Amino acid sequence: MRWRPFALAAALLVYPLLFRGAFYQDMGALVLIQATSASAWNIVGGYAGQVSVGHAVFFGAGAYLPVLFYELWQLPLFVGVPAGIAVSLAFAFIIGLPTFRLRGHYFSMATIAVAELVRLIVSNSGFLGGAIGLMGPARPRGWWDLVFRSAVPYYYIFLAVLGLVLLATWQMERSRFGYYLRAIRADERAAKSLGVPVSRYKLYAFMLSAAFTAAAGSLYIIKTGFIDPESGFGILVSVQMIIIAALGGAGTLLGPLLGAILLVPLQTATNTWFGGGATGLTYIFYGGIIMLIARFEPGGLIELWRLRIAPLLLRRRGDAHAP
Amino acid sequence: MEKKSCFLCVTLLALALAAPAHAAKTVKIGLLYPLSGNAAAAGKSAVQAIEVGADIVNNAHPELKGIPLAATAGLPRLGGAKIVLDVADHQGNPSIGQSQTLRLITQDKVVALLGAYQSNVAFAATAVSERYGIPFVVGDSVAANITGRGFKWVFRTTPIASDFGRNYMEFLGDMKKAGRKADTIAIVNENTDYGTSVAQSLIEQAKKAGIKVVAQIPYNANSTDVTAQVLQLKAKNPDVVIFVSYTSDAILYMKTMKNLDYMPSMIIGDDSGFSDPSFIPAVGPIAQGVMNRSAWAIGKPGSNTYKINAMFKKKTGRDLDDTSGRSMEAFLVLADAINRAGSTAPKKIRAALRATDLKPSQLMMGYHGVKFDKTGQNILAATYLVQLQGKEYKAVWPSKSAVAKLEWPMKGWKK
Repeated sequence: MRWRPFALAAALLVYPLLFRGAFYQDMGALVLIQATSASAWNIVGGYAGQVSVGHAVFFGAGAYLPVLFYELWQLPLFVGVPAGIAVSLAFAFIIGLPTFRLRGHYFSMATIAVAELVRLIVSNSGFLGGAIGLMGPARPRGWWDLVFRSAVPYYYIFLAVLGLVLLATWQMERSRFGYYLRAIRADERAAKSLGVPVSRYKLYAFMLSAAFTAAAGSLYIIKTGFIDPESGFGILVSVQMIIIAALGGAGTLLGPLLGAILLVPLQTATNTWFGGGATGLTYIFYGGIIMLIARFEPGGLIELWRLRIAPLLLRRRGDAHAP
Repeated sequence: MEKKSCFLCVTLLALALAAPAHAAKTVKIGLLYPLSGNAAAAGKSAVQAIEVGADIVNNAHPELKGIPLAATAGLPRLGGAKIVLDVADHQGNPSIGQSQTLRLITQDKVVALLGAYQSNVAFAATAVSERYGIPFVVGDSVAANITGRGFKWVFRTTPIASDFGRNYMEFLGDMKKAGRKADTIAIVNENTDYGTSVAQSLIEQAKKAGIKVVAQIPYNANSTDVTAQVLQLKAKNPDVVIFVSYTSDAILYMKTMKNLDYMPSMIIGDDSGFSDPSFIPAVGPIAQGVMNRSAWAIGKPGSNTYKINAMFKKKTGRDLDDTSGRSMEAFLVLADAINRAGSTAPKKIRAALRATDLKPSQLMMGYHGVKFDKTGQNILAATYLVQLQGKEYKAVWPSKSAVAKLEWPMKGWKK
C-alpha cells in the first residue's frame, strides 16, 4: 500500500515529459492549481467538516495582492505572494471568529454572504481595477516576472506548492490537530465535552486552509496574468473547490488531487469535443456529480473504492483462489 | 493507484485522438466565444454571423458588390482555399479562454483567432496568442486597454468606448451649431465593467469637447427601483442624459421617468439595453425619440447590408444585430488580410493586417474604414447614431448616412 503515493508522485513528475503537447502541459498545470485549492479547502471543509462556500475570498486575495503590487509599484508578481497569504490569514481570523459560532448550513450560508460581499466591494473599488480587473506584466521584463511561453516551468512550480500542501496535510492528519478536527467533524458537542478546544481548532484549521488557498490564488495569477472579480471572488471558484474535493473524497489526503485529475480534463474535454454543439455540458456534469455523490457516496471516489470496489475485487480474487 | 493512473492515461489518450487531422487546401481560423454561461446568446449569435461571413468568402456572391472576397469562391491568392471555422467555448472565464486559445493554436493549428465578446477573456486570451505569435482579431470587446499593451499580434476592428464618446460629443457639437441647447449632460451608468469603463471614457471625451457633465450616476443593473436616480436627474436638469444600461434597467428608467414626468431634451442610450429586442415592445410608445448607437444598419433594399441581413435572417430567423455584425466584420477583415498575405504564415498575415486599408464602401458596418494604428486599434472605427421613431430605430446622424430626420427635442410619451 505504501508505494501508491510514490507512484502517483512519480507519475506527476514525469507527466509533462510524457505529454509534450503544450496544451496537455497547460492542462496539467491547471489540474495542479485546482488540486492545490481543493486540498487547501479540504483541511477545513473535509477534515473538520466545516463546509465553507466562501473560500473564493482567500483565492481572490492570493490572486489580487501580487497583481496589485505590480500595478502600484511594478513589483514582480511573486513578491506579492506572501502579502496575499498574510491578508488571507487576517481575513480568515476576522471571518472565522463570528461565523464559527454558526453550525452546519448556517455556517455555509454565512461564508457565501461574506464572499459575495467581498466580490461586490472589489467590483466597486477603483484601485483594484473595479469590475474590469487587473493585469500582470503583459510581456516579461526578465525571468523574475515568471512569464513563460511553455507551461512546464509553471507545472513544476505548482507541483512543488501542491507537494507542500499535501505534506502539511499529511503531518496534520497524524497529529493531535488532525484527531481534534476529525472529532469535531464527527460530533462537535461530544468533542467539546471531551475537552477539545473546538472553537480554537476550527479557527486554526480555517486559517491554515486560507493560507494555502491564497497560495493557489497566487499560482493562478502568476500563470494567467489577469484577474477580475468574477474569476477571483465568484461563487463558482468556491464551488469548484468543493466539487473537486467531494468527488475525490473530502477528508482524505489524496481525494482532492484525484478529483482534480478527473474533473479538470473532463471539463476541458467537453469544451473540446462539443465546442460548437452541446454547450453548457460542463455544468450538467457538475450538477450530475453533486447529485450522485450526495445520494450514493458522500465520501467521494476514495471511499467508494475503499468500501465497495476494493472488497468486491478482493472477494473475487479470493474466489479465484478457491479450489 | 495503478488503476487511477491507467484511467488517467486513457482519458488523455482519448483527448489526444480528439484533435482532428489537418486537411489540405483549407485555412483554419479559431473562434473564441462564450457558448455557455450568461453571455451564451450573444456568443452564439456572433458565431452564426461569422458562419454567414464564411459563406460569403467561401462561395461566390457576386451580388455583394465591393465586399472583399465576396465575388470569388474561397481565397483566390491561396488557390481558392476555403476557410474553416474552429469554434471553442470559453464560458466567459479568462482561464478557460487561455487554455482554449492554447488548444486552438497548438493542437488545431489555427492560423489566426477571432473573439472574444467579454473583455476580460479578450485580455487573457490575447496574452497567449501574443506569446505564440498568432494574430488575434478582436471584433467586439470594447475595453480600452486590450490594445495598447505593446502587443504586436492583437488587432481590433470595433470602435471602443472612446470612439463612441467622441461620436456622441461630435453629435452634440453639431446640435449646438444648429442652435439647439446641448451644453450639459448627465451620465447614468450601471456599475459593472461595461458601465464603468464607458462612463469614464464619456467623461474624458466630454471634457475634451467642452461639454459640462453635471452628474454621473452609477447604479446596480438589478435594481427594482430607480426613483432616486431619476429624481437626482430632475434636480440637476441636464440638457442630455446618456444611459449606459442593460435591458431591464433601461426599461425601468423609461417607465420611472414617465411616472415622475421628467424628460430631458434628449436621451442617448449606449447600445446594450436600448438595442435589446425587448426594449421597443416594452417601452417604445413612451420612449419616442430616444437615440442609440449602432454601427449596423440594415439599409435600403438592394444594398449590401440588406442582402447580408437577408442571409443572416434565412439562417437564424432574426435580423442581424450590431454586436454580431461587428464580429462578422472582423472576420471579413481577417479573411481579406489572409488572402492578401497569400500565405498562412502568421508573420505574413500580421504584415497584411498591418497594411489593411479598407474603404467604407468595402465594409458592411458603418465604420469610416479599417486601418490599424501601431497598437492594433482601428483608427477609422465609428458608429452611427439612430433614433427611435415609431417602432424602429432610424439612422439620423451623421447626416450623410441618415435615412430619417432627427427629432429634437425628443417626444417621449407626449403626442
